[in-house]
Amino acid sequence: MKNAKKTMAFLLTACMIGSSFVGCQKKSTAATSGDTKKGPVTITIWQETDATVAKTLQSELDKLGPDIVVKLERKEKLGDALKLVGNDPKSAPDMYFFAHDKLGTFAQMGILSPITNFISKDDMKDLMPMTVNAATFKGEIYQLPVYFETQMFMYNKKLMKTPPKTTDDLLKYMKENTKGGTYGFAEQHSTAYYASAWMHPYGAFIINDKAEPGLNSQQMIESLAYHKQFIPYMPADGEFNTVTTLFKDGKAHSTIGGPWLVPDIKAAKIDLGIAPMPIVNTTGKPLTPYSGVQGICVLKTAESKKAAVTAVLKQLLKTDIGISLAKTANCAPANSKCYDNADVSGNEMINAMKKTAESVVPMPNIPEMDVMWTVTEGMLAAINKNNGDIKTQCVKAQKDALSKIEAMK
Amino acid sequence: MNKKLRPYAYSLPALAVIGFIILFPIFYTGYISCTNMNIYHWFNFRWIGADNYKKALFVFDSGFLPALLRTIMWTVINMVVQVIVAFFIAVLLNSEGLKMKNLYKTILMFPWAMPAYVSILLWRMGIYNTEFGLLNQWLKQLGLGPVNWLSNSSSAFLACMVVNLWMAFPFMIMTIDGALQSIDKSFYESATLDGANWFNKITKITVPSLRPIIAPAVILTTFTTFKQFDIIFLMTQQQGSNTGANIHTVITYAYEKAFITNNYGYSSAISILIFVIIMIVFPIVSGKIMKEEVD
Repeated sequence: MKNAKKTMAFLLTACMIGSSFVGCQKKSTAATSGDTKKGPVTITIWQETDATVAKTLQSELDKLGPDIVVKLERKEKLGDALKLVGNDPKSAPDMYFFAHDKLGTFAQMGILSPITNFISKDDMKDLMPMTVNAATFKGEIYQLPVYFETQMFMYNKKLMKTPPKTTDDLLKYMKENTKGGTYGFAEQHSTAYYASAWMHPYGAFIINDKAEPGLNSQQMIESLAYHKQFIPYMPADGEFNTVTTLFKDGKAHSTIGGPWLVPDIKAAKIDLGIAPMPIVNTTGKPLTPYSGVQGICVLKTAESKKAAVTAVLKQLLKTDIGISLAKTANCAPANSKCYDNADVSGNEMINAMKKTAESVVPMPNIPEMDVMWTVTEGMLAAINKNNGDIKTQCVKAQKDALSKIEAMK
Repeated sequence: MNKKLRPYAYSLPALAVIGFIILFPIFYTGYISCTNMNIYHWFNFRWIGADNYKKALFVFDSGFLPALLRTIMWTVINMVVQVIVAFFIAVLLNSEGLKMKNLYKTILMFPWAMPAYVSILLWRMGIYNTEFGLLNQWLKQLGLGPVNWLSNSSSAFLACMVVNLWMAFPFMIMTIDGALQSIDKSFYESATLDGANWFNKITKITVPSLRPIIAPAVILTTFTTFKQFDIIFLMTQQQGSNTGANIHTVITYAYEKAFITNNYGYSSAISILIFVIIMIVFPIVSGKIMKEEVD
């Protein structure tokens, strides 16, 4: 009996230790042959996007079969996963589909291959310049833009009859209509991504492409001072959940948001209107938000599959994918030729985004931007939520940003 | 097998697993802290010795000391309230004649069953939110204006403390409840015969009997509370939801100063320095508690 117990104890311990090595098993690879071998070539693309977008992409890339089999795999925490395995040919994907703002980090790490190694700049001539700009880091194009997103002025047609054309009109509207838990306008006023729309018309920037923060510039101080007068008429916390719930519940007449909000807003049976961004009276320029460009990047580990990767990129250069995404997911295509299609040009939201594409600022794709989000939001929270002195907070934030950028090296 | 070696042989597999899961990451972090692993040298990092530590000590600037003092205050206040309140709840749950005590115990365990991330966000949105939170709804019913509970440092500190206590009570109540079951009832009977009242019984029998039993739980909870990150971060500092309150603890301070820089060498050095601080404090605290037991 004693021996039986000992044996059982050893067996169970061995099972436990053995099970801890399960994760070390070799990844079974299907036909991941290089171009020189016969048989279909498999291209693996990681993505962390909306299911509808992923399905549309998969359908489009299935057209390359049977010679090229494209597998779109959903990868949670895609950025972190790429950091871990980006240079390991056995674990890394061949390509990934993601927003452009991280490509600078991955390019700096050395895991990306410029797409110009596979297609020419001439092949990209129909792509909107703003999207190609967003895809460029240190003079090299690392991403093939597929669609872009930006913020729009959204309003509830039942509550707001005429959307404001200028920010003075907007402020007047807010003063008249903000009472008893209802707001004329609600936005994420202290989130850097949204607040930047108020900075750009003044010529202010969070960080430029030379990795120089601009938080203490005179333009930044002026833009924040101007924006601050709108804060008392908005929800104090300005969080995503608060703002979107207020709008969906009909307690906020208008908001600034992206296309990702639209399905929920329509499900809440809001009669949604899209209007051009109000013009800032003091500068004559419209509120100018950041834009995000979603596209495909190629990893260096896929360079041995040049022909297959080229085929994938050329397939995505066609207008088909842009038109499909516009129809299925209201995405604004990066390919300007897509707008000749009636379904695309007739979509109110896509048109609104196309108009703003002329003036929007792509999110900085440099690695240093990673530290700027927290610093900028700390500054905005101190000014907007705790009544901090604008100049003092800007100077403090600039110092903090510079020390964090230095700490990156 | 030699009798002396046998216990080690039986423990060896478990120790190996613990070594792999706990010790290896610590040693690996220490190794990375002596390299220049960052975005600019992600795969081709090299050994740089103590350079990251020299840089890390500058992180302990004007903001670090207040963060450390705040962390100590956070730990002490949370532990005192936790132990006292959990003790009284456990004593009440063990009252003679109390009906449905199992139901009460089950309800009290509920916060423990919920994932911490979900609980914290529910508190943030459901209780403290300026528009929809329960507290502001009550204030509205009373004709008062809304309060931004999380933007002011003092109210944010108290708000986070309430959440921490809510999540921590089940463990402490369960530990004390179990410990109370182990106290011999004859002590109380003798005390009653000697004319002791409720307060005398609590202070002379219950508390001294409980101390050695709950000491490990208290020590464990003290260190968990000291290195608390998720409550402070999710309630006040999450990207996109920064409330403006400055209630940095040592861990959140280090996170904001170092971990977001993608400079793993530097962040690892900060982690090791915090680890050293905890390892210095740990023997002092546990030694003190153990000494009191012996006395």
